[in-house]
Amino acid sequence: MKFYVCIKQVPDVNAPLQIKDGKLVQDADRNILNAYDASAVEEALVLTEAHGGEVEVVLAGPEKAKETLRKALAMGAHKGTHIVTSGDEPFDSFSFGKILAKFFSDKEYNFILCGKQSQDTDSGLTGSILAELLDKPYVTNAVGLKLEGETLTVKRQGDAGQEMIEVPSPGVVTCSNDMNDPRIPSLKGIMQSKRKPVETISVADIDAGVSADDVKTRVLSFEEKPEREPGKKYEGEPEEIAREVARLLDSAESVI
Amino acid sequence: MSTLLTYISVNDGKIKRSSLEVLSRCNQLAKEKGLTSAALVVDQNPGAVTDTLKKYGPSVIYTIENPIFKNHLNTPLLKALSAAVEKINPKLVAFASTEGSKDILGALAANRRASALADMSEFELTDNGVKGKRPVMASKIISAVEAEGECVMITVRSGSYDVVEQEGDTSVEPIDFSFSDDELRLTLKEIISSSSDRIDLSEAEVVIAAGRGVKDEEGRNLISELASVLNAGVGASRALTEAGDYDPSLQIGQTGKVVSPQLYIGIGISGAIQHVAGMANSKVIVAINKDPDAPIFDIADYGLVGDLYKVLPPFIEEIKKVKSEK
Amino acid sequence: MDEKFDCIIVGAGVAGLAAAMTLANNNMKFLLIEKGEFPGAKNVSGGVLWGNDLAKLVPNYWEEDAGWDRFINQRRLTFLDEQSSFSIDFKSSHFNEPPYTGVVVLRSKFDRWLADKVQEAIDKSDYAMDSFIAPNILVEEVLQEDGKVVGIRTGEDKFYADSVIIAEGVNNLLTRQVGLQDKYVPADHMLTGVKEIIRFDQDVLENRFQLNGKSGMSNEFVGFATNGVEGGGFLYTNKDTISLGLVLGLKDLREKEQKPHDILNEFKKHPAVADTIRGGEVVEYSAHIVSSGDKRVMPKQLYKAGLLVCGEAANLLMNAGKAIQGMDYAIRSGILAAETIVGAKEKEDFGELAMKAYQDTLDESYVMKDINNFQDAVHLLHDPVMTQKVPNLICDFGRNFFSIKNEPTPKSRDMLRGAIKRHASYWELIKLGAKGAKAL
Ligand SMILES: Cc1cc2nc3c(=O)[nH]c(=O)nc-3n(C[C@H](O)[C@H](O)[C@H](O)COP(=O)(O)OP(=O)(O)OC[C@H]3O[C@@H](n4cnc5c(N)ncnc54)[C@H](O)[C@@H]3O)c2cc1C
Ligand SMILES: Cc1cc2nc3c(=O)[nH]c(=O)nc-3n(C[C@H](O)[C@H](O)[C@H](O)COP(=O)(O)OP(=O)(O)OC[C@H]3O[C@@H](n4cnc5c(N)ncnc54)[C@H](O)[C@@H]3O)c2cc1C
Ligand SMILES: Nc1ncnc2c1ncn2[C@@H]1O[C@H](COP(=O)(O)O)[C@@H](O)[C@H]1O
Repeated sequence: MKFYVCIKQVPDVNAPLQIKDGKLVQDADRNILNAYDASAVEEALVLTEAHGGEVEVVLAGPEKAKETLRKALAMGAHKGTHIVTSGDEPFDSFSFGKILAKFFSDKEYNFILCGKQSQDTDSGLTGSILAELLDKPYVTNAVGLKLEGETLTVKRQGDAGQEMIEVPSPGVVTCSNDMNDPRIPSLKGIMQSKRKPVETISVADIDAGVSADDVKTRVLSFEEKPEREPGKKYEGEPEEIAREVARLLDSAESVI
Repeated sequence: MSTLLTYISVNDGKIKRSSLEVLSRCNQLAKEKGLTSAALVVDQNPGAVTDTLKKYGPSVIYTIENPIFKNHLNTPLLKALSAAVEKINPKLVAFASTEGSKDILGALAANRRASALADMSEFELTDNGVKGKRPVMASKIISAVEAEGECVMITVRSGSYDVVEQEGDTSVEPIDFSFSDDELRLTLKEIISSSSDRIDLSEAEVVIAAGRGVKDEEGRNLISELASVLNAGVGASRALTEAGDYDPSLQIGQTGKVVSPQLYIGIGISGAIQHVAGMANSKVIVAINKDPDAPIFDIADYGLVGDLYKVLPPFIEEIKKVKSEK
Repeated sequence: MDEKFDCIIVGAGVAGLAAAMTLANNNMKFLLIEKGEFPGAKNVSGGVLWGNDLAKLVPNYWEEDAGWDRFINQRRLTFLDEQSSFSIDFKSSHFNEPPYTGVVVLRSKFDRWLADKVQEAIDKSDYAMDSFIAPNILVEEVLQEDGKVVGIRTGEDKFYADSVIIAEGVNNLLTRQVGLQDKYVPADHMLTGVKEIIRFDQDVLENRFQLNGKSGMSNEFVGFATNGVEGGGFLYTNKDTISLGLVLGLKDLREKEQKPHDILNEFKKHPAVADTIRGGEVVEYSAHIVSSGDKRVMPKQLYKAGLLVCGEAANLLMNAGKAIQGMDYAIRSGILAAETIVGAKEKEDFGELAMKAYQDTLDESYVMKDINNFQDAVHLLHDPVMTQKVPNLICDFGRNFFSIKNEPTPKSRDMLRGAIKRHASYWELIKLGAKGAKAL
C-alpha cells in the first residue's frame, strides 16, 4: 500500500493576530501543520502499521515550511517531498491543486489523503480539485477509514448522517480531524526524522503551468469582525440567576 | 442574458432554507443587474418541490431527475451539474454551504474551468466575476475576496441572507440526464445514522449546545428537556461528539456545522475558537459555565456563572412558566 | 544514532537556549528538550533582558528586525499612593547605540527566534544530523547510576549522555528529584507574576511614550500598585503593545486573601496607569511563578557528577527594586554551564570535581556577586515599610511640593517632615535608611 498525504503549513489560528491597513499581521511567526492534515497523516500511519506499506508526505510551500514536513516525518511518515515555493505567490487552492496534480501525474499510489480544509482559510477545495484533475474517485470529509484489500471504506460525515462509501484504489480522500487524535512525535521520532529522505523540487521544475497571473481568486484585504456588544455575567445563587435570565430572554429579547 | 444559477438542496423532499436564502440573494442581484435568476433542482423527484420553489420567483427552474439522487454521491451529482452548467452557461453558480455542496465545489469548478470561493458570508457581482466576504482564521476575522472568470462558483453560509418570496413567471425546464451504474466510481454501502427526524441544526431558531461540562445521563436529560421546552435543535462541542455522547452530525464549529439561530445556549462549553467559529453569528448568545473565566463569556450576551446541574432545573422551570403565561 | 550524547539540556527557556547555542558553537553533540509545544510557548517574562550577553549568543542581533521588540533608552521608577504618582525618570541617548544594555522581548516570539538561531548553529556544526531540538517532550526523570547522572527518561524512553544541564525554570522538579534541593520548598519565598499584553496602534504607542524608532521605555512601580501586597509593578513598551504586570508575594497574597488578577485590575485603574493604557486592547493574559532571588531558597549546590543546574531552576534571579533580572542571569549561567561541559569533554571527565568548575565560575561572575551583594536589598524590598509607607510618604511630599496655593508656601523641608509624620515614624525611616544604605 502506498499512501501519499498532502500536508500544508498554516498559520496557527490560536496565535494573536491583528489587521493593519487591511493586511493580516501575526504577532509571532507561528506556523503549524494543518490539523486536518495531521489527522490524515495519523490515519495513513495507522493503516500502514496494520496492513503494511509506505506513507509519503508532500508539501508545497516556502523553505520555512520544511519544519512542518519534518514534523510529519517525526510522526512516522517514511519520506517526504518538498515542492519549494517562494511563499510570496498569491496561490489559491486551484494553484496548489494543479501543482499537486502535476506532481502526482507520474506517481504510483493507492490513495492520496488530504485534509478536508486548511485551518486558516477553511476553503476545502484542494482535495476535490486534485481528484478531478487526476481523474480519480474521491470522498471528502472522512471521519473514519478502513482498508480491505485494495479498497478503502470511508465513513463520511454527510448532511443527513454518516455514509459508508467504498473507494477503489487509486483514489483521493479528504480527512476531518474528527477521525483521530494525531500522535505527538516522540523523541525517537524526532531524531529519526532528520535521516529520512526528503526530496526537494522547486515549483518551477514541476511546471504545472501556474503563475501569479492566472490565479483567479484573490484576497483583497482583511477586516475585523463586527464586535459584539459585551454582554453581562450573572453570578450568584443558581436559582436566582437562572430565573432572571430566563425572564430576560422573553421580556428583553423575545427569543423564547 | 446571463444567468445566476442557484442550486437548491433538497432533503427528503424538503427544500433547505439555506438554499432559499441564496436564491433570494441571486433574485435581488439579477433584478439589480438585469440578469436572469434560475434555480436548479437535482433530485429523484424534483417535481415535488417545484411548486414551493415558484413562490420564490426564479425565472426558470431547471430540473434533473434520476433515482440515483436518492442519496448524495459525488460522481452522478458532478456529472449532472456539469451538464447543467454546460447547457445554461451561467455567470454564477451559487450553493448553500452544506457537506454536499462542499463535496463537489472544487471538482465541479476544476471540471468546468471555473473559479470557486467557498463559505461566503456576503457576495456581489463584479464586471468579470464575483467579490464578497468570507470568515477566515477560525472565523476570527473576515477576508474580502474576489474571483474572476466567465463562471464563478460559490457556496454561501447559512444565515447570510433573508429568505424573500417574490411573484413572477416561472418556467420549469427539465434537463436530459442519464446515468448508468457502471459510471459509479464509488459505492455507497450504508447510511449509518440519519438526523432527518430531528430539527435541522443549521435551520433551527433556537440551538442548545452541550459541551464537556455535560458529563452524564442526567446532564443529557436536562439538555433534552430544555430542548423540548424551547423546541430547539440540539448540538454539541467536539468534546462530546468525539466521546460518542452526541451524533457527530451535531457538532457545531469549524469542523462541524455553522449555526446562526435567534438564540444559542451553550452549556458546559468553554468557547474554544473552533467552536465559536460555528456559532458566533447567533443573535442572542447565552452561556452556562462554572468557570467565570471561560472564554465563551467574552461573546455571551447572558453569561450564567454556575454549575449547569444547579442552573438548568430552575432555568427550565422558569421558561416553562414564561411559556405558559403566554 | 543510538550512541550517547555529549549533553542533554532540559528546558528551552533562555537558559537552555543559551547553553545549547554555546554547545553548538563548540561542536558538541546534544539534545535540547522542551516540554512546551514550541520553545517559549508558555514562558513569561516582563520582559526586559538586561545587559548585553545576548550579543554573545547572536552577535549583532540588532541588525535583524526579528526576535526582539525594542531597546531601553528611558527608565522610570514610580512611587504610587492611592491617587498620586511620583516618578524618577531617566532618559539617555547614551543608551541608544548597540550593544544595547536592555532589550524588551516577548518570550513566545523571542524564545522561538533564539531556537531558530540555535538550529542554524547546529546545522553548521559537525553534528548537524545528530544534535536535536525536541519540543513537546516532557522529561520525567534524570537518570543516575552510581551517584552519577547518565541521562534522562521521557515516557518509556531513556536517552543517555555524558552530562545533563537542567534549565527547567523556577518550577524545578528535576532539580529536586536529583536531590540538589529539598523536595518541598515553602512558597513563602516565591512570588507570582501576572501580566497583560495590551495592544495599541503603533503610532499611538510611540507618541504616548515618546518612543523613537526602536527605542523603548521601562517603568517599575512601587506602592499602591499592589494593593498592600508585597511586590511591585512594571510596564514595558514592546513594538506595538505594552507589557503591564505585577510581581506579588505568594505568602502575602494568601494571608491577605487577594487574587493577583483583581490586584492587576485595580492597578490598571490607578490614574497614573489608566492614562497610559487608555484605548489599548488586552490581547493576552498570563501568570507565572517567579523566585524572589532570596538565597535561602537556592539549591544547596548547582552541580553533581554529570549534572549542572542553571537559570531560574537554580533560583538565579534578582529583584532589588530597580529591575527584575532573571533572563540575563539565565543566559550567563547557561553559557557558563555549557562551557564547563565543553571543558569536561576535552578532558573526558564529567565527575563532580569537573562540574564544580561551573559553580566556581558562576561565583566569580556578576551573577553571584550581585546576588550575594544585594541580598539585603532583596530583603528590604519585601519590607512593608518599603512597599507601602515610603511610596505614600513620597507621594504626599510630591503633592505638597507641586501644589501651588494662594497662601504662604511652607519650606520643602517642613513639607517632608509633615509627610513623614503622616506616613511613618522617624524611627522606622532611620532603620530603613540604614538598611538601605547598607543594602545598595
Ligand atoms: C482544527 C480544529 C477544529 C476543531 N473543530 C471543532 C468544532 O467544529 N467544534 C468544536 O466544538 N470543537 C472543535 N475543535 C475542538 C476545540 O478546540 C475544543 O477542544 C472543543 O470545542 C472543546 O469542547 P468543550 O468546550 O465542550 O470542552 P472543554 O474545553 O473541556 O470545556 C468544558 C467546559 O465545561 C465547563 N464545565 C465543566 N463542568 C461544568 C458544570 N458542572 N457546570 C457548568 N460548566 C461546567 C468547564 O468550566 C469548561 O469551560 C476543533 C479543534 C481543532 C484543532
Ligand atoms: C511576570 C514576570 C516578569 C518578569 N520580568 C522579567 C524581566 O523583565 N526581566 C528579566 O530578566 N526577567 C524577568 N522575569 C524572570 C524571567 O522570566 C526568568 O528568570 C527566566 O525566564 C528564567 O529563564 P530560564 O530559562 O531559567 O527558565 P524558563 O524561561 O522558565 O524556561 C524553562 C523551560 O524549561 C521547560 N521545562 C521545564 N521542565 C521541563 C521538563 N521536565 N521537561 C522539558 N522541559 C521542561 C519549560 O517549559 C520552559 O520552557 C520575569 C518573570 C515573570 C514571571
Ligand atoms: N501547499 C499545499 N501543499 C500540500 N498540500 C496542500 C497544499 N495546499 C492544500 N493542500 C491540501 O489541501 C487541503 C486543504 O485544502 P484547502 O482548504 O483548499 O486549502 C490541505 O488539508 C492539504 O491536504
